Amino acid sequence: MTDFRKLLETLGQAGVEFIVVGGVAAAAHGSVRLTADLDIVYRRTPENLLRLVEALRPYNPYLRGAPPGLPFRWEAETLRRGLNFTLTTMLGDIDLLGEITGGGAYEDLEPHAIVLTPYGFACRFLGLEKLIEVKRAAGRPRDLEVIAELEAILEERDAG
Amino acid sequence: MVRERTSPLEPDPVIEFYKKDIDRTLIRENLRRSVRERLENLLRLQQFREELERAGRSAHRKR
Repeated sequence: MTDFRKLLETLGQAGVEFIVVGGVAAAAHGSVRLTADLDIVYRRTPENLLRLVEALRPYNPYLRGAPPGLPFRWEAETLRRGLNFTLTTMLGDIDLLGEITGGGAYEDLEPHAIVLTPYGFACRFLGLEKLIEVKRAAGRPRDLEVIAELEAILEERDAG
Repeated sequence: MVRERTSPLEPDPVIEFYKKDIDRTLIRENLRRSVRERLENLLRLQQFREELERAGRSAHRKR
């Protein structure tokens, strides 16, 4: 099980700049669908990579689904060389995304993010309309039901 | 809750087709909840799924 609260708190307390996207963002907007991991788009500045690495280090991040013993080093240089990482940690599963299809990088998404404080501390979540836009852009058949639900939420929200 | 700017989305006929099956009563109910309550519900769903998976594995071993 993924401890969303603790993950968000850990990243927030370390000053990591990130935007929650994917299923957790959808849930925050009102989706009733299940998601198992936390997806975030992180800012790829050297300082933020260091903050991200230090924040998650105590929770032993490792490549999800990879066999044990790989020469995977949890350090800023690893993040700098890569872009998107699907990780498992002691707090649960987290996807670190440098970019997303249809949305771009952190700087592109930031104007479309909203600040929510579900647990008493502020977190950026991707806005509902942009979330729909990136899901549409991804063009994955499995997302069709998700998009339909998100659009229905948007309609209900705007009607209410 | 802060809302982002609203701009109309171009309707997609495929998505409109899927939208017919969406249970809007669940959505309306969920929209009445706070963001925190929605995320806590998500956590409960996760727990329930894990319990089901455990029960399924256990039943499979007994067969």
